[in-house]
Amino acid sequence: MEFEAAAARALDTASARGADYADARVEVERAERIEVRNGVVATLSDATSTGMGVRALVDGAWGFAASSDLSDAGIDAAASRAVDIARASAAIARRRVGMPPSRAYVDEFVALVRRDPQDVPLGDRVALLLEAERALHGPSAIAVGRAWLDVWRTDKYFFSTIGSRIAQRLRQTGSGIEAMAVGDGDVQIRTYPGDVGLYQSGGWEIVEAARLVEEAPRIAREASELLRAPQCPSGTFDVILGSSQMSLQIHESCGHPAELDRVMGWEANFSGTSFLEIQQLGKLKYGSDLVTIEIDNTLERGMATVGYDDEGTRSIRSDIVRDGVLAGYEMSNDTARAIGRESNACVRAAGWTSVPMIRMCNLTLKPGDVPFEHLFDDVADGIYMESNRSWSIDDRRLNFQFGCEMAWEIKNGKRGRLLKNPTYGGVTPQFWNSCDAIGDAKSWFPWGTPNCGKGEPMQTGRTTQAAAPARFRNVEVGVGYRG
Amino acid sequence: MSKSGSDIVANVSIESSQREALAQRVLAMSPADRTEVLVSTADAALTRFTHEVSNQNLAAANVEISVRAIVDRRTGVAQTNRLDDDSLRATVERAVEMAKLSPPDPLTPDLPNAPTGAAVDGAYDAATAGADAGVRAELCAPVFAAAESAGCWSAGFASTSRSGLTVANTSGGLASFDGTDAALNIKMTATDSTGFAESYAASVGTIDPSAVARAAVDKARGTAAPSGVEPGDWTVVLEPAAFGELLIYLASHFSAQSFDDGSSFFSDGLDRAYFSERFTLFDDFAHPLAPGMPFDFEAQPTQRLPLVENGVVRSIVTDSYYAKKLGRENTGHALPAPNAYGPQARNLVVAGGPKTTQQLIAETKRGLLVSRFWYIRTVDRKRAIVTGMTRDGTFAIEDGRVTHGVRNLRFNVGIVDLLGACEFSSEQRRTGSYHYSLVSPAAKFERFKFTSTTDF
Repeated sequence: MEFEAAAARALDTASARGADYADARVEVERAERIEVRNGVVATLSDATSTGMGVRALVDGAWGFAASSDLSDAGIDAAASRAVDIARASAAIARRRVGMPPSRAYVDEFVALVRRDPQDVPLGDRVALLLEAERALHGPSAIAVGRAWLDVWRTDKYFFSTIGSRIAQRLRQTGSGIEAMAVGDGDVQIRTYPGDVGLYQSGGWEIVEAARLVEEAPRIAREASELLRAPQCPSGTFDVILGSSQMSLQIHESCGHPAELDRVMGWEANFSGTSFLEIQQLGKLKYGSDLVTIEIDNTLERGMATVGYDDEGTRSIRSDIVRDGVLAGYEMSNDTARAIGRESNACVRAAGWTSVPMIRMCNLTLKPGDVPFEHLFDDVADGIYMESNRSWSIDDRRLNFQFGCEMAWEIKNGKRGRLLKNPTYGGVTPQFWNSCDAIGDAKSWFPWGTPNCGKGEPMQTGRTTQAAAPARFRNVEVGVGYRG
Repeated sequence: MSKSGSDIVANVSIESSQREALAQRVLAMSPADRTEVLVSTADAALTRFTHEVSNQNLAAANVEISVRAIVDRRTGVAQTNRLDDDSLRATVERAVEMAKLSPPDPLTPDLPNAPTGAAVDGAYDAATAGADAGVRAELCAPVFAAAESAGCWSAGFASTSRSGLTVANTSGGLASFDGTDAALNIKMTATDSTGFAESYAASVGTIDPSAVARAAVDKARGTAAPSGVEPGDWTVVLEPAAFGELLIYLASHFSAQSFDDGSSFFSDGLDRAYFSERFTLFDDFAHPLAPGMPFDFEAQPTQRLPLVENGVVRSIVTDSYYAKKLGRENTGHALPAPNAYGPQARNLVVAGGPKTTQQLIAETKRGLLVSRFWYIRTVDRKRAIVTGMTRDGTFAIEDGRVTHGVRNLRFNVGIVDLLGACEFSSEQRRTGSYHYSLVSPAAKFERFKFTSTTDF
């Protein structure tokens, strides 16, 4: 396995310096980004980064050190530094929280790629974005068009002193377009696909599925029409959320509060804590009976899909919410054992420089049995919203306010006028308990989130929330623009 | 303060002269018409704690080389962190290859070569550069002790870092900067309340961990048994951390790109009064509370700019691209290439007012004192409407006195409208986070719209 000798040196050094357990993670990352803005290639970049992160456990306390210097001296320095840091942690700790993983694996994992983006000439990749961006400039109100492509390739090698040797080849690809219309003192933006583009695990097939060139004229037209659209009203309405907005709703109001480190106060100073307290496990009625949300890092197109997490634990499927009741958390080794469970492999680091921590996994909201068009049938006076524009939630993940790029009024079961600036808000469990219909499997889609922030220093994680559109009753709408 | 030999990683802690030599070596490899090289080094360490235990304690050291190649007014950028000649040559070739695949942009600027000014005093501290995990542990220990004696638990971080940047280009531009930073950021949690305090400095020795811990404990205790208040329009006094977090959502409006594309609130024109005459805002890398880099990521000297003078918007910030596009002076506010976000103001400073924070509170009949905000997001870009939550220390003000804690609230405010009627305290503080740093006084607003409440 590649980097085996370097990792062995790091583990030997850490052990010799007194580590009770150590692991070494080498990552070779390559990130390509192309962005076209108003006909100009504003970004055409290709970045490679290689380094090693060493985690050491001393007397129940963790230390982590990372370095790009993979010479013998550099490896020795990083491993020694990790041990010294762990020892400094132990010196001030009031109790011991760290424990080594219980099980070792020797394995390889390769992400599914149908067509390697490298097989598409770079010139063709640039040309596709230029064409898509050009197609946004039909309406005269379009002041800014953007089209972008990200290709991330990560080769990851994990070794530990209990014998794990895991190689993983991860590939993620995303692309999107955005039209910004300016006029009459207003700015309106439409983004496609979803609210950040289409990001999934895989290769060029993800870009082809996005159909950027074909959809660009519609997106530009919608942005322009939003300038003239009436303001979304304020009041209490039945609300239908499109699947990409459902993805955001799950991400913020279920995915983050179900991170067990947050529940235990490990994120208190930054990302906050959680209302999903441990004593509520198996009892809290999080949502209506229709609501089942699973963790699934084996999901074929999931951005968090891995064979093993960054503690060397094999990916499995598990529950967060089962039939509306809180059933589990996203967990690490240390946090899971603190509540008498085993890790469900939810630990990832943003790269070799970053310490592994609990990160949101792929989350799937179980689809219902209502065809999308029939979600509207039973709505006398409502709002249908799509494509997220703003998101804010309190530091216990209860009081939220989200905004979308566009909405349509619903009158007597029919979709009506386009509305601009829709916002809605609520309190998480009340909101999910008001869910009375979820779209069927045909309308269910895995939306990738490439920009999830957590931790100090901030780590940017990638995850996926798979969902169908869903209906919620008696939702407060329009708070952001009231008065 | 302790220091162990292994806490400095070899080969990544290179000095500016070594960075400059490396940059020149890379420039010599390039066949492009024009080439720019950025050599950046970072050695950053952070001790994160909760419940009086360090749950994450880390350090990371890296050297990155970024090459911007310009061929026939086409631009490509490639980056690596491998320093051998083969890797560097391959990175240069990749940048050139990418440039050749990009369509020409007639606005592609010349690379700057103006002489840059000297580094600001106080931006670099040798003790902070050499600080190890023991130094950070010594910052944490008084925090843990204060939490325990107050019956609270603490969460937060202590960090130290050193960073270096060299920018060199084939037009003769060359600039180097070395800086250090340290921070202690604490949340104290009591039975039914929380309190926050922070301290940031280029020199770790100036941080007083006992004082920061005491301030956080006082807030947590002061907001015990918080009561609920009704949402609506409130008079508020925002402490620097709260006002700073709000203000950062206005910063991008001063970018030449936002001004040019029409998304800035003042795209209709400069030199107009958009705010109260009490509001004056600078971009100033040389402020003693937050000394920064005197040049931008193109090696252009950064100007110290008045963005708003007595309520009148005076300036936008530019880089070489937007200076050429808009026919304006290059103010030296470029971000690293590639950059689709345009130039940005990176060193905001809000001018203080004539009154102390205590006077602002004493003159408030009925209002709220806010320690900090959480999860602010833009609701409406053009009107600069944002929403967010209060957090970790929100107090009632009654008849000029801070009386008791209140439960947290959600707000929806237009920042431009808000700054139409405002007052500022005389005391300025550095505040910030990972993605921004600014200098701000406390701010008082008469009509701050809270739209919903919480049970905590």
